Formats: sequence, structure tokens, C-alpha cells
Amino acid sequence: MNASAFLVAAAAMTMSATVFAAGAHSGGHGGGSGEPGKASEVSRTINVEMHDNYYEPESIEVNPGETVRFVVVNKGNLVHEFNIGTPDMHEAHQEEMMMMVEHGVIQGGTLNHDMMEMDMGDGHSMKHDDPNSVLLEPGKSKEIVWKFSEQGNIEFACNVPGHYQAGMYGDVNFN
Amino acid sequence: MKKSFLAGLAALLMPAFVLAGEYNLTVDRVQIDTGDFVKEGIGYNGESPGPVLRFKQGEEVTINVTNNLDEMTSIHWHGLILPYQQDGVPGISFPGIQPGETFTYRFPIQQAGTYWFHSHSGFQEPDGAYGAIVIEPEGREPFRYDREYVVQLTDKHPHSGDRIMRNLKMMPDYYNRQQQTVGEFFSDASEHGFMNTLKDRMAWGGMRMMKADVEDLQGFTALINGKGPDQNWTGIFEPGERIRLRFINSSAMTYFDIRIPGLNMTVVQADGNNVQPVNVDEFRIGVAETYDVIVRPRDEQAYTIFAESMGRSGFARATLAPEEGMEGAVPELREPARLTMADMAGMHGMDHGSMDMSSSGDMPSMDHSGMAQMDHSSMSGMDHSAMMMTEGGASDPFYAKGSGIVPVAANGGKFLSYADLRAQNPLYEDREPTREIELKLTGNMERYTWSINGVKYEDADPIRLQYGERVRFKFVNETMMTHPMHLHGMWSILDVGADQWNPIKHTISVQPGTTVYMETEVDEPGQWAFHCHLSYHAAAGMFRKVIVEGGPDSTQAKTDAVAGNGGEA
Repeated sequence: MNASAFLVAAAAMTMSATVFAAGAHSGGHGGGSGEPGKASEVSRTINVEMHDNYYEPESIEVNPGETVRFVVVNKGNLVHEFNIGTPDMHEAHQEEMMMMVEHGVIQGGTLNHDMMEMDMGDGHSMKHDDPNSVLLEPGKSKEIVWKFSEQGNIEFACNVPGHYQAGMYGDVNFN
Repeated sequence: MKKSFLAGLAALLMPAFVLAGEYNLTVDRVQIDTGDFVKEGIGYNGESPGPVLRFKQGEEVTINVTNNLDEMTSIHWHGLILPYQQDGVPGISFPGIQPGETFTYRFPIQQAGTYWFHSHSGFQEPDGAYGAIVIEPEGREPFRYDREYVVQLTDKHPHSGDRIMRNLKMMPDYYNRQQQTVGEFFSDASEHGFMNTLKDRMAWGGMRMMKADVEDLQGFTALINGKGPDQNWTGIFEPGERIRLRFINSSAMTYFDIRIPGLNMTVVQADGNNVQPVNVDEFRIGVAETYDVIVRPRDEQAYTIFAESMGRSGFARATLAPEEGMEGAVPELREPARLTMADMAGMHGMDHGSMDMSSSGDMPSMDHSGMAQMDHSSMSGMDHSAMMMTEGGASDPFYAKGSGIVPVAANGGKFLSYADLRAQNPLYEDREPTREIELKLTGNMERYTWSINGVKYEDADPIRLQYGERVRFKFVNETMMTHPMHLHGMWSILDVGADQWNPIKHTISVQPGTTVYMETEVDEPGQWAFHCHLSYHAAAGMFRKVIVEGGPDSTQAKTDAVAGNGGEA
């Protein structure tokens, strides 16, 4: 097998693993943390503020299987993410986010939206449009409706390089 | 202007709510045991390093310093913003503290972060007179950690500072053990040809220096928190915890390359100011700099904190472990880096034609600081600091192109560059500087003279700044050594090409053959020291007094009256 064929195969294996885990879509998000929720099933709304570089609140309580609407607002000066996942999922996603920084998609306080649309090959882009996460510039706000799984080791986290490591994460505690 | 001004004003208006703390320090003769040798030195409250002083932002501190020595002393609060009379430099801020005298420092704590303190008299600092300062912020930290440790490095030498200075003056290569030998000459000659090797050696001799001059003081035992490599200072953790390590380089002369094999480090603060987090595998800490990193050891094992001196003549070693007594593997010292002709590019009067350039590649006539000045926004949004890294090879815009001392991570990963540093919360609005001041860093290694613009301290006029201006300093390093330049009393905004996100520091390393720019908002009246923080370079004359003229009130009238006795620095 030549080198390029091997790389494609390796990429395909990585992709399929994450696709199965995510259940719904490509890109490596989702997994054991739950699934996109239906607005009609929302039991309550949790407001999350993103600062440089931490969340308020830093932990939330949910019931197993509960569907929650998150209203996420970026109150910092830097781009931040709100991403619901397991620690392993966050770690995998941090490599993708590093690529976004290296390609200039994320630059401190701004997102290069044109570059996010760019075709990266194999039908990939750096859109960052997965249902378990939002990536926000300063001052911006978005909502996520998420149906949590029954149990699990779940954190919400910002995977912009360095942010998770510096402590920009919060715990999801199951009642 | 300064955003913290309003907060400061509010604090002034509410004196009843001001936090106040009183601290006592004695300056004592102490024994320093490095594991390799025991030496009499100077310490605080009976030990070296002295205690970790923990302050709270907004606190009014009172610090009583009692001098138990038979010579004059002083304490400088390195990196703290305070009234100049409290800055602790004899002959500039105050007359010094006489034997038997107690001097009381009083100043408000206006900032947060990791800093340090040390004597500014003679060679008391290399003799052991230093300690750490940790300031808790008024609000929350913009990061999370479960525990924290100060990791304070020094290069303890068996000789006293006075003796080292005498030896260096007499024989500048006295402490340089890595000089090229006759044997090396012949092995180079067989590889590169006799004439090339001879020409190379003659070119270096003509520049009054030796290729191995990365460090001019060897023979030290490097300490972490006062412990030598065999004494192995150990910080305890529980697997999964995030640990904040507050690295402080209190060395007299030594730069360290620091790594913790098995752990990534996230740099969150430099010189007390928070930076946008950067994940690194290794970083170089200049003399007098501080870096705060967060690490997260997940496994139940010991991790070695390994700090090699830049010239690889020694190392400091400490351990992070789940319990006392555990040890990780201690790596071998890497081969010493050697300066190349590129590191000499800034030198005057060199006959470039006669040099053997084969080892150093192209001669960089370019101004490297230009890299830092590029307008990144016009470059289709690419992050050049990231590019520098991913392109591979040892390249860093803050080192001369082709430099022999560009640091490389031991594991092939990411080595921190100044170019990666971005302020987390800029202290000042970005604005055009009102003027530029060029400072050539100059010296003659063969006579061990170090100076600025060719003039040593005792012969130099002070640098006069006007209160309210923003000055752009242009450092041009015309020597073959790295100089950590430290301006007292006001921040040094390092130009990394990030405009308002340029990092805010108190000490800026200028590599051989490079030009580096920093800007300073002149917002503190009075008179201040400005010098290379290598102890023996500062003492040899790479030092200036800075006078800030004018001010918000009539403080200027007092400045010249203070100096009093003792012109020492």
C-alpha cells in the first residue's frame, strides 16, 4: 500500500469511528453525551456566559435524558466554543480546532467566515456547524437544544487551543 | 490610557475598605546547601530563597525590612508598579538600608500575578537574596487549577558574586569551560579543511569572543526552590488535577530551557500578566522573567521538571509526584548550542569578507524585528507564529536567521516563542508612540565591559522621558550574548506584531544579532533603573537611570533630592 492510500484509509477509519459515535452527522461531535433535542421537549433554559477563559456557571445539573435549551453568549474578547461532550471527544476535537487556528480561521477575537466555508477536501470544511457545539465571536449569542443521554462523564468545554487546558470547561452532573 | 486607573481611584475614595497587610523581613547571613557544596550566602528570614510573599490586589502593604548584615542592603520588588521611592534601588529610589536599620516600604498592590523580589545592592542577589511574590487578583483568575506551586530557579555558584566579578574582569573566559580546544580544531580541520577552520577561528578571535560564549558563567549548581538536582524539590498532586506552576528565573546569569517529559504545558501568564493560553512542550525562561503554566498529570507516576541551562553546562531538576520520594527519569543534557556568524550579525567593524560563512548559511543583513512588525491583517489572515512552528526547522523571529541558539523542543514538539505571546487583557489602548529611542546593547567580552550605546552607566547621562508620552524603545543587540532588559516602574509592551494584543512584560530578552522593539506608556513619575538583568553585565555598566519629567502633580520636584549616598546599583 502506498503512503497516500494509507493516509486516506486512516482518515476513513477515523471518520467512521466518529460518525458512528456521533450518530447523526460527520465531524466528530456528539457521541456518548446525548443527541440534538426537539424544541417541543425542552424542559428548561440554561444561560451560559463565556468569558476569557471560563464559563459562568462552571457546572450544571441535569436529569438523565432531559432536553435543555442552552442560550450561550460570548462576553469575552476572544473567540470561544461551547461544546457538550466526553473528555475524549473534547480531546479529539482540540486537534480540529488547532487546525482552524493554524489556517487562520480563528484569530484571537475574530472568525474568518469565508475560510470556514472553504472545501478542505473529502467534503470537509471548517464550518464548525455540529449540533452539540457553538463557536462564537465576542458579543455573539446562539442557542443549542440538547437531549442528554441517560448518564455519562460529560463536560461542556471550549476547545480553542489552550482554553480547555487552562480550565475553560464545566461539569455536567446528573441528578 | 490605563484602564486600572479608575479602579485605583475608587480604592482611594474608599479608604475604609482598603485591605492592609504588614509583613516583616530580616536580611540575614545564611548557609546555602546545594547538595554539591555548602556556601555562606544571604537570605531573608533566615533562609534562601526567602519566603513567598502572598499579597492581594488592592491591598496596601507595609513591609518592614531589617538589615542584619554588616553591609548596606535593599529590596527591589521586581515587576511591581509602585511609587518610585518604594522601588528599592540604592542611589535612584532611596539611599539604601544601612546595617542594623529597619526600612519600612509602603505601597498599594495594583496588579496580580507572579513576581519576585531581590536585593539591588552589590551581588547580594546572586549570593542568595531573593524570594517570590504571588498576588491574588481582586476578581477570579481567568483559568482554573486545583493547586499551585512556585518554581523558582537560580544558578548558585560556589564563588561569591564579588569574586566572580573580579575573575571576569581579569579573565573574561574564567568561567567558560566549553571553549573550543586544540583537539577540536584538528577534528574541525579534518571535516572542513585546515584553512577554513583556521579562518573561522581567526574571524572569531577578531571579534574578541569565543564561539562558546552562550554562557559566560559556568560551574554553578542550578537550584529549584533552593534545592539542587540531587535534593529534588517535589510538588505533590493527585492524578487528574490541574496544577499551576509559577516559574521564576532568579538566576544571576543563566537562561533555562524547561520541559516536563510526559506533560504538555499551557502557558497562561508571562511576567505577571495573563496571556492567551498557549500549549507548549518546552519554553526558555530568561533571567528575571516569570512564566505561569498549567499542567494536568493524569497518571499515578512521577514527572521530572527538567531545566537545562541555555549553554547546557548544568541543569535544575525537580519532581511532580503523587507522593513524596517518587522520582521520574532524569534526561541527559543535550549538546551545547554554539553561536554562529548569524548571531554576530549585529556587531560593528567586522570584516565580513574574511569570514568563513560556510557554517552559518546566508548572512542576514535584514532587520529581524521587521518580522514582528508585519501587518498580519494584510497577509490573508494567516497566523505567522503558528506557521513558524509548523514549517519545521529551528526558526524563531526573535532570533537571528541562522542563529545557533534557536531553541528546539527535546521531543520535537512546540517550543514557546515570544511571537506566540498575546495579552489576555491589554492594559493600555494601542496608540502611536510619540518617539523612538534607540539603545544599542554593546560590550567588549575581552575586557568584560558591558554598556548601552557604547557608554557605561557611570559615564552616561540619564534617559529623560516625559510623563504621558508613549516611547518606543529600539534594542539593537551588537553583542554575542542575550540580554534580558528590565525597565523598572513601568510596563514594557513587547512588539510581537499583534498591535493591541502585544504582551505586557517587565523583562525583555534581546538575542544576539537582533533588533527588538518595546513600547512604554510613561505613566509613573520619578526616577527608575533600566538595565540588563544579568548581574555581572549590569554591574559592568549595561545600566541606565531613567528620569520621568513632569507628572500628574508636582512629584518631579522631589526626584533629584532622594538619591543621597551610595551610587551603587
